[in-house]
Amino acid sequence: MAVGLLTVIPAAFGGVAWGILGGALPGISPSITMALLLPFTYSMAPTTAVVMLACTYIGAEYGGSIPAILIRTPGTNAAAATVVDGYMMKMQGKAGEALGISLYSGFVGGLFGMLVLVGLTERLSTVALAFTPPAYFALGVLGLSVIATLAGDSLVTGLIAGVLGLMISTVGTDPVAGLNRFTFDSPELLSGIPPLLVMVGLYAVGDLFVKTGEPDWAKATREDTRIKFPSPAVWKRIARPQAIGSLLGAFEGMMPGGGGAVSSFLAYNEARRWSRHKEEFGHGSPEGIAAPEAANNTVACTALVPMLSLGIPSSNSSAVLLGGFLMHGLIPGPLLFVSHADVVHGLYLGMFAGNVAMLIIGYLIMSPCMWLVNRPKPYLMAFIYALVVSGVYAIQNSIFHVGLTLGFGVLGSAMKYFRLPVLPMVLGVVLGFVVESNYRRALVISSGDYRTFIQDPIAAGLLAVAFLFVTGALVRRLREARSARRAAAAPV
Amino acid sequence: MEDSRREIVLGCATLAIAAGYYLMAVRIPHSDIADVIGAQGLPKTYAALLAILSIVLIGRAALARRKAAVPDAPAMSMAPPVSVAPPVSEGPPVPKHVGWRTFGMLLNGALYVALVTRLGYILSIAGLIASTIAFQGGELNRRSIAVAMGGALLLWLLFVRLLHIPHPPGIWPSVF
Repeated sequence: MAVGLLTVIPAAFGGVAWGILGGALPGISPSITMALLLPFTYSMAPTTAVVMLACTYIGAEYGGSIPAILIRTPGTNAAAATVVDGYMMKMQGKAGEALGISLYSGFVGGLFGMLVLVGLTERLSTVALAFTPPAYFALGVLGLSVIATLAGDSLVTGLIAGVLGLMISTVGTDPVAGLNRFTFDSPELLSGIPPLLVMVGLYAVGDLFVKTGEPDWAKATREDTRIKFPSPAVWKRIARPQAIGSLLGAFEGMMPGGGGAVSSFLAYNEARRWSRHKEEFGHGSPEGIAAPEAANNTVACTALVPMLSLGIPSSNSSAVLLGGFLMHGLIPGPLLFVSHADVVHGLYLGMFAGNVAMLIIGYLIMSPCMWLVNRPKPYLMAFIYALVVSGVYAIQNSIFHVGLTLGFGVLGSAMKYFRLPVLPMVLGVVLGFVVESNYRRALVISSGDYRTFIQDPIAAGLLAVAFLFVTGALVRRLREARSARRAAAAPV
Repeated sequence: MEDSRREIVLGCATLAIAAGYYLMAVRIPHSDIADVIGAQGLPKTYAALLAILSIVLIGRAALARRKAAVPDAPAMSMAPPVSVAPPVSEGPPVPKHVGWRTFGMLLNGALYVALVTRLGYILSIAGLIASTIAFQGGELNRRSIAVAMGGALLLWLLFVRLLHIPHPPGIWPSVF
């Protein structure tokens, strides 16, 4: 246990520091920050690696608020709601206080998120031993059904991205008969395309390519960098918005596609609705920072509930964390709590330490953060590119993997151009193997009887939930389309 | 209009992928120990699914183009010609010169992959950093070259000396 603490706690501190630095860079999302770190965790012990990645997520959610407050540019999507009142406070000469409120609220949200995470994942995992191949197949289908919710503006493009991901997952040796598929006689492709390369390519390299055409961001001044923690009166005032943000973040984090951005804006709106100082919102209200920051740090913990207990990532960041698990041979899902309970408990401990670390490092790291944000964009992008190609090579000492990752980078930027969502493709890549291998194993066991999928109660239940997910999303889209048509037809 | 054109291009591309993937899937050999689904089973299903979705996307986009064009036709015939503002695309604005810059960045990466085993890690990564700075809009001067060399040295220390990753040394060990 002592040895575990010796590695887990430094990993938590390191992950948080990396996350804050990455999150503070405008346009570098938590998932990209995590994807950049992913290759470096390959040589670490599994617990250390997943703790570092999870704590990067925690740190990045806070880091995003730094440029949001100081230069009116959110570092992450989730910090967009913080810009409104954070920047106004900065203009009033209260930048340090705004940063302090953000840091403290993120800490409160993170602790609440941890309680939800520990309380729910353990309960969901109790069904672990009852899972059979049909149930695992149904779990995979449930994961894929999430695409209906995550597809964004167009369900068809979301499904196309998902199917493309499933196709990528078929590259390599067939899971039942052992035949080679789509390998083009390349020995490097025999073991398939590692999901890690797909994620680093799509998220980090793809984004890097797209960002080449974007202008440089604004710069911060040195006097902005001292954090001031809120006074007792402000503490009392921000308690309610923190509670609102934490509750909404807990709920949204577990929902597919919910994520930090949605929960932040919801929390901001609800905090304003329940505030005694509504008129201050938009003019530098501390509550307007506390609610969204508590929400997005709660999400950083609760997004792990479906990922850990069911193996279904609900956001880009949890998908990258899932990649970290898979890289170490850990398969998130019901059996993780039975076969690798030590890793799960180490992760809990590490994430708790990560939240405490955020409070300490968040205070200390402001100067390096500002130094980094103020570097010229071409230099930063060049070093990120160099870090990616060096890190990907380090995974298996393979130049082929570097080339493959660059290829996925091109695919990622093309997907952005064609507005194809990335997460459905990642889901397809990650769940493709689970779906195919368990589907075929279930049919081998049942001698080709398809009724096995409805005779198994867990499988039937999960398939029913998947069906509800898809039909619910379809009905919602049809309603939205109908009301849009009515609005267009209405006389002006 | 811009969106529907983009969707038609995407639909055609994914339809071609579906066809190519299907042709490769049917060429997967059969195995005597295969299950009822077989190694070809799901790949063929995925190809069919992608083809159907591509056709739906193309059909939907074509319909949207036709709908967008219909109200304009009578108006054009009845009204005198007027100068029309360029169509505004929906959604977030696409960054300028993305294709050209993406190609440049990709070329940098491809050159790195091609040269790293010959030139060695330090020189190749320094080249990658310097050329990326240039493609990102920075100036290639003494300062940027010094930063690239310093950065390469730092990355070499981190990966090769500290993490013991055997990045390719290139021709240098045989020279000295």
